[in-house]
Amino acid sequence: MLRLDGLRLVLAIVLFAGGCGYAFTSDFFGKELLAEIAIFAILAMSLDFLAGFAGMVSLGHAAFYGAGAYIYALLSIWQDWGAPMAMLAATLFCGGAGWVIGAVTSRTQGIFFIMATLAFGQMAYVYVFENRAIGGDDGMSGVPRLDLSGIGIDLNDPSIFACFLVVMAGLVFVLFVWLLRSGFGRALVGMHRNEARMRALGLPLIRYKAAAFAVAGAVAGFAGTLGAQHSMFVSPDYLHWTNSGLVLVIVILGGLESLIGPALGAAVVIALKHEISTHTEHWAFFVGLFLIVAVLAGGKGLYGLLASVRDWAAAKRQPGGGDA
Amino acid sequence: MSDRREHMLEARGIAKSFGALKVANNVTLELDAGERRAIIGPNGAGKTTLFNLLTGEIAPDAGTVLLDQKDITRLTPDARARRGLGRSFQKNNLFRGLTVRESLTLSAMIALGKARQFWRDPGSDVEIAERIDQTALWVNLAGELDLPTDALSYGARRQLEVGLALAARPKVLLLDEPTSGMSPEDTGIMLELLNSLPSDLAMLIIEHDMDLVYGAAQRVTVLNYGEIVFEGTPEEARASDEVKRIYLGDWGDHHA
Amino acid sequence: MFADPGFWIVQLLNGLQFSMLLFLLSVGLTVIFGLMNFVNLAHGSLYALGAFVGWSWVNVSGSYWLAFFLAPVCVAAVGALLYVTLIDRMRAAGPLNQVLVTFGLIFVFLDVFRYFWGDFTLGVDKPALLAGGFEIAGQIYPAYRLFIIALGLLVLAGLWVVLERTNVGATIRAGVDNSEMASCLGINVEKVFFIVFCVGCALAGLAGVVAAPLFSVSPGMGIELLIPTLIVVVIGGLGSLKGAIAGSLLVGMLQTFGQVLAPQLASMLVYLLLAATLIMRPQGLFPARA
Repeated sequence: MLRLDGLRLVLAIVLFAGGCGYAFTSDFFGKELLAEIAIFAILAMSLDFLAGFAGMVSLGHAAFYGAGAYIYALLSIWQDWGAPMAMLAATLFCGGAGWVIGAVTSRTQGIFFIMATLAFGQMAYVYVFENRAIGGDDGMSGVPRLDLSGIGIDLNDPSIFACFLVVMAGLVFVLFVWLLRSGFGRALVGMHRNEARMRALGLPLIRYKAAAFAVAGAVAGFAGTLGAQHSMFVSPDYLHWTNSGLVLVIVILGGLESLIGPALGAAVVIALKHEISTHTEHWAFFVGLFLIVAVLAGGKGLYGLLASVRDWAAAKRQPGGGDA
Repeated sequence: MSDRREHMLEARGIAKSFGALKVANNVTLELDAGERRAIIGPNGAGKTTLFNLLTGEIAPDAGTVLLDQKDITRLTPDARARRGLGRSFQKNNLFRGLTVRESLTLSAMIALGKARQFWRDPGSDVEIAERIDQTALWVNLAGELDLPTDALSYGARRQLEVGLALAARPKVLLLDEPTSGMSPEDTGIMLELLNSLPSDLAMLIIEHDMDLVYGAAQRVTVLNYGEIVFEGTPEEARASDEVKRIYLGDWGDHHA
Repeated sequence: MFADPGFWIVQLLNGLQFSMLLFLLSVGLTVIFGLMNFVNLAHGSLYALGAFVGWSWVNVSGSYWLAFFLAPVCVAAVGALLYVTLIDRMRAAGPLNQVLVTFGLIFVFLDVFRYFWGDFTLGVDKPALLAGGFEIAGQIYPAYRLFIIALGLLVLAGLWVVLERTNVGATIRAGVDNSEMASCLGINVEKVFFIVFCVGCALAGLAGVVAAPLFSVSPGMGIELLIPTLIVVVIGGLGSLKGAIAGSLLVGMLQTFGQVLAPQLASMLVYLLLAATLIMRPQGLFPARA
């Protein structure tokens, strides 16, 4: 169950306000970085929903991200669909694909499940990579952005676009807070804690796992439509396993099952990635190293670290507060 | 015996073998509405296996299971639970990290079909809240509702184990050794608790504690090597030489 | 072309050769899982390491056969190092953490390869002894591919003899069935784990060095073959030797014949097979424990 406690709320407000402020004060490079952070924050929150809360660790999450990006690109370039319809269709498609993949992979458990997600993620990559009709390994360019000029918002302005992505990330956070408190969200958390008991209480497990996969897939696909609009270009790299790994690192480093931790993790990891990239091209080495260190350090992530600082401060304050 | 219509749970000729080992051999038993029946028998007699056959964790080789006169033999465990077959476990099977209230909410919301709701928080649902309060009263946890389950005493966790099943308001409740590992005082509390439950709830109780069997059950079924070897009132069971021989045999007679 | 029996024999041999490569990789993965309940996602990286180390030995010494024997030893040594520093302490950490750590290792290895060998494809020449071919049903079939088939069968026979006919094998089988009982019987389970892990790594290295002359050597080759290998073990049943054989043959043949008969579908077929297995037999064809 998600408890929207003070720490989560404060972090969410700080990240949101900081993001919006940074969008209008930073240089061009900073805006690009912020846009990437916001997109990866959405992706990471969707993976945390699936892996952290529902307990289904997926190593193929980038497949949904890429599928969303490609479908948005195809519909808006080839079919001349308006951006809102193309975004909606791409999101719904990824939800449907997530449901099917979830229903199939959920028949296995633990390690089998994880291996199956890696395999299906790679399947999507191979399909896109080899399909010349959608550009093959070259990808496709000329992806249009959402046009909000009707209400006076110009998304081609880098500041406004970055701020728009931060707002989207904020909305996704609210969506997940809301979902995780619902009967559906609680059922997923209960299933993660004790699957056998939830079944004995009457929960049809596979149906709920498939639904969790559908929600996570839809949100990851939505992130993909934003990613395609950000770079105005799609390529098989979107679906590459290293991308799935990067999202996983963000979630683990930010703090599994905390929802806001992964958003914080996105800011830290993406910024670090760019910092490392300026010194060496071997940033993947550090992604792997961070993942290993984060797991060896206990796997609670940055959110866990902040929560223990809070608890420590509260414990220190309490006796003093009682005397006063 | 009683009119067939009243049977809430019925097993007809249930059989199950694991290789050469017969764990259930032509088991037939009925449980009427409101009936309290104890299943006793030595260790390894197949009591928990029988529960798993009734709840659908294991598929029988032969036989049928009926709940409220409907055949449920082919249903999955979760489908049986949704039709009103509740169970508790021999070893505490709780939700780590959740509070008592959050745990009971899970049970109540599934039973009320509210686990499907994407939009509403069951934590602010009046119907669920009423159920949780009633359940907490039944299992003596009204004061512990907002404690994490890990913070409860062992006896209180056993009570929550039963409470989780009760919050779903089952028609039939299968209790697998509710007093397992409990102190005599806690066993007394559990007995009182079980006797305070609504009189129309049918219960099948696996139990080793004879005080609880005599105090809570109207009928006793004795299981040995997967077979029903005795059925009668607790008094008849107490007087039966065969029950004595089977039940006391494994520690009374070293040659058996 | 399809009417020519020689064509079918060649395809069958190609399928068998790919199956043997998959077998060399999957058998290590699956036995390590059966014994230690540990899945090493970096197994594919060890295969790539075998290819890179093999390439270096060939370049240093000029002899493929030296590389053939030294590459598995080097990979086993790296495996031993990993076991001591990381794997051993992850044993009790649960499957999720094991997967995450070994997934992290894939990233680390990827850049280690790029750093030492560069981010391009390298070629290894076939050994002179096996550079020729045999005529089979009117077709010239490369001797080197036949060598891989023979090697795979040899490893299979060797493993079977060790597992079924020796005391060490009995110990390993006891450990797969019930490691608690094995340790109660006074078997040094820790030592068996270590040896099996190293042998599994050596087999991955062997697969790498024999694959090197056939495919090009590149940093991404590990994950490329890791996926079919994982599919093999999921289909075969994790922890089962029989499953590794059956899964390797199934995936190897499907991939090979798929490319010939339905080239557009070929890359998808293996995944469809995986999906079908998950739906119909989620525990795999030969589950290790009933």
